[in-house]
Amino acid sequence: MSFLSPWWIAAAAGLTVPPLIALYFLKLKRAKHAVPSTLLWRRTVEDFHVNSPFQRLRRNLLLLLQLLVLIAGALALGRPMFQNVETHDSTVIVMIDQSASMGVIEEDGRSRLDLAKEQAKRCVDNMSDDARAMVIAFSDRATVVSSFDADKAALKRKIDSIELTESTTTLGEAMSLAEAYTQNIIIGGETAGTDIAPERPDVFATPASVFLFTDGRIADAELVSLQTFDVSAMMVTSVGTRGDNVGIVAMDARRRYEQPDVLQITATVRNFGPAPVSVDAVLYVDGENREIVTFDLGAAPGQRGGPRDATRDTGGTQDAADGDAGAEDAAGVGAGPSPPAGDGLGAPAVRVVPFTEVFAGGGVIEVVLRTDDALAADNHAWTIAEAPRHLRVLLVTPGNMFLENVLSTLSLTFDTMTGAVYEAADDDDLVDGDRSAYDVVIFDGHSTERLPQGNYLFWGAIPKIDGVSAGGKVEDEVIFNWDDTHPILRYVAPEAINVYEWTRLKLPPEAVSIMDGQTSPVMSFLSRDARQYLICAFKLIVEDEFGRPSMNTFWVTQVDFVVFMQNAIQFLASNIAATGERSVAPGQPVTLPIPKGVEQVTIRHPDNATDPVPSAGFQNIHYARTRDVGVYHVEPGVPGADAFVVNLFNAVESDVSPANTLTIGAESVRASQSTVRVRRPAWQYFLAGVLALLLIEWIVYNKRIFI
Amino acid sequence: MPVTDSTKPDDLLDPDFTAKLDRLELVSRKIFAGKMRGERRSKRRGESVEFADYRSYVSGDDLRFLDWNVYARLDSLFLKLFLQEEDLLVTVLVDTSKSMDWGEPNKGLYAKRIAAAIAYIGLSNFDRVSLFTYGHGLRDALPGLRGRRLMFKAIEFLTRAPYGGPSDFTTAAKQFAIRQPQRGIVLVLSDFFEKGGYEQGLRYLIGRHYDLYTIQILSPAEVDPTLVGDLELTDIEDGDTAEVTIGRALINRYKQNLKAYCQGLRDFCTKRGVNYFFTTTEVPFDQVVLSYFRKRGLIR
Repeated sequence: MSFLSPWWIAAAAGLTVPPLIALYFLKLKRAKHAVPSTLLWRRTVEDFHVNSPFQRLRRNLLLLLQLLVLIAGALALGRPMFQNVETHDSTVIVMIDQSASMGVIEEDGRSRLDLAKEQAKRCVDNMSDDARAMVIAFSDRATVVSSFDADKAALKRKIDSIELTESTTTLGEAMSLAEAYTQNIIIGGETAGTDIAPERPDVFATPASVFLFTDGRIADAELVSLQTFDVSAMMVTSVGTRGDNVGIVAMDARRRYEQPDVLQITATVRNFGPAPVSVDAVLYVDGENREIVTFDLGAAPGQRGGPRDATRDTGGTQDAADGDAGAEDAAGVGAGPSPPAGDGLGAPAVRVVPFTEVFAGGGVIEVVLRTDDALAADNHAWTIAEAPRHLRVLLVTPGNMFLENVLSTLSLTFDTMTGAVYEAADDDDLVDGDRSAYDVVIFDGHSTERLPQGNYLFWGAIPKIDGVSAGGKVEDEVIFNWDDTHPILRYVAPEAINVYEWTRLKLPPEAVSIMDGQTSPVMSFLSRDARQYLICAFKLIVEDEFGRPSMNTFWVTQVDFVVFMQNAIQFLASNIAATGERSVAPGQPVTLPIPKGVEQVTIRHPDNATDPVPSAGFQNIHYARTRDVGVYHVEPGVPGADAFVVNLFNAVESDVSPANTLTIGAESVRASQSTVRVRRPAWQYFLAGVLALLLIEWIVYNKRIFI
Repeated sequence: MPVTDSTKPDDLLDPDFTAKLDRLELVSRKIFAGKMRGERRSKRRGESVEFADYRSYVSGDDLRFLDWNVYARLDSLFLKLFLQEEDLLVTVLVDTSKSMDWGEPNKGLYAKRIAAAIAYIGLSNFDRVSLFTYGHGLRDALPGLRGRRLMFKAIEFLTRAPYGGPSDFTTAAKQFAIRQPQRGIVLVLSDFFEKGGYEQGLRYLIGRHYDLYTIQILSPAEVDPTLVGDLELTDIEDGDTAEVTIGRALINRYKQNLKAYCQGLRDFCTKRGVNYFFTTTEVPFDQVVLSYFRKRGLIR
């Protein structure tokens, strides 16, 4: 409750209370009355005083009541206001953020999610009795915790059941879900499948009250487009106050090319808090403490003035899986227009912490920040380092100087054979168990159907599998489009590639195009049945009209080609770790190969919970219950792919300072620090209190006076 | 509720009421010797027609009272004794202090009416009637009235008797006892609100062996006060003030005190053979006289 005119209280109380007390101290002016004799009266009064020790108290009770009357009147003059959530609408939608940043423990020892749940429950309490509410929890995806229900107790139980995740925040799905529910007019049943349409569709014709409980760190808030909800009417509650957080926003581990035993690890650490901090970064390899680095981070720019607008940072989502989170560009991660370079006076707010570790084996690399900050989920980062493998590559070629030269420069061993030899070779030479004996097999102009499980790179040829076929020649076209975010093209400049001719490929829809010509794909990646194919439509060497070998592209003479071959072989051999496919953001699905013949694998979560997943006869499983950060193990797993890690790596989520303003779509909503409250005048209650006190005083007075 | 008594002669007795009173006479529980021959038997043997006793003749006795028939039968001289009929002394003491001039109906007027009724009955029966008023001591007196024709004097006396001053029953009783040694019926009409106490005054009267009647007259407002609130009560007799905050509890306590006070007076009187009447001015005064006094044996 607050008062619009608090000075009135002081003025009214000051003017009335002292005179009242003074009047009580003054002698009572009594009415004079003649009686035939005061004999009995005097005797009675004496008796009465002797027998009534509470006489004084009685009089003081009246004084007390009168004082209360005056104070209540003075408070009424101060224009008291209730601050309360008003939910007049019959349809209420409660959205609760359950993302990682909601796990921040606030000053009172409770997490933001707990605070949000408490406020949401208060919101439910304030609903009118005929109102129905649905509860949606959202993080990286939205969940309908409770479909429309009028039972407040049940709603509150459902709200209580919302658990914290360590995922990122996306609002779009939750909004779509809410809109869909209100538009489709579904009344939720008690159990799944019992939802029914109401008899009176007009129940939902009234607009819905949308209550959003979040800390405002929503990555996709600006991308949300609403069809029915009025953004300006949404009631957004910004939960929490803390902003002090240091988090790892990127991590990369790779082996030094010339020294495969040496693992180079870089962690990008950023301070999101308003004060400079000193941080210890500890490196663990397979749980063993290997190195500690202590460093200072400056205050985040713009953080010294309290909570910021979320709009500034919401565009800067980092895709942790983009494989490009190197130390060089980490400073720009999620930083919006200007990189967070600190306050310009002391240490920068972002620092790339390097570790160099001699580690010849394979295992889990973990970097831990030792700091007492708001959010714990981003103080850990994991990656899986595999033992440096000496790759074995088979080059099937009629003879290609360029390829042979490139392969000989790379740190691998390779065998060369012609296509005819390959087709005629014994299985023992090519197959090791179920899989190819080679890590990568490169076919230079040789299409084949002899493809045991393994990784294949085709130059001007195709795997003879379903859905893949080669057509006629394509000439006089340029490479038109490419995916420069693909790891294979890292440090490669495709715009410099000129190819004279290539084969028109027909590929299945699941093939991922890496380079496209104007009318047909030039380079595509296809993963199928525990086999990976990188198919390039052009040959490196073609025969001219006289049958002489001639270069189809000058790319082979450039450094880029060497880099490309390294990338391609490493990629196909799954030797790219940390930022490859084996590290995903919370909630993101991961594709895992499983051993042949295994009907069910068990995914062991970081908290040692296990989750059985049936394979359903496939060689791969897709797994999406990755809401907690940490290392996940697949049992039994394919060697080298039996674990994956989930890292937060999200600057928006790590920036835990609550937002004052949330921009949803094109409109901004001002968020209140607590439950969105509507001021309601309360003076009438005080006035009723005055009347009640007057009544009590009257009764007390009469109890003393009347017979 | 101070209503001043501006008594008019007609207020005291009306003809209808006096007609009823004609048939009544005062009865004394004691037989007193009167000064004059009256219509009552006295202890003295006298010359009435009512035979009392015989005694032997001694020389000097009046020969007219010899019973000759007995002499003829017994040959002895016996004297017939007859009861002497004497008058009865009826005295009414009326409190005319200021406190009696109060109440609705007025206590003083009520007392005067009773006094007038008693006087009328007495005069009608050839009793000797004396009227006294008292306040701070005896004030006025109208002694020795006899015969109904003097009733107008009694009325006049009562009508003119003024109210005023404080009440001092002790002094008044003392003076009265000294002034009237002759025994007879004595009625005291008062509210008996005596700050100095009523006990001593009553003892003076009891000491004279009067056939004493105390009649306490209170107004309804005194018995059941309707006062409320913070008041300064002023005693109309002596100007004494009492500050009271009157509520239900206080009123209850007052009633208890009044009851105890009246009971105290009653007990005091009863123990000493004094008749005590209590009435409020609410009770019709003719009812008091015709019914109440009759039941208690004062009149018949």
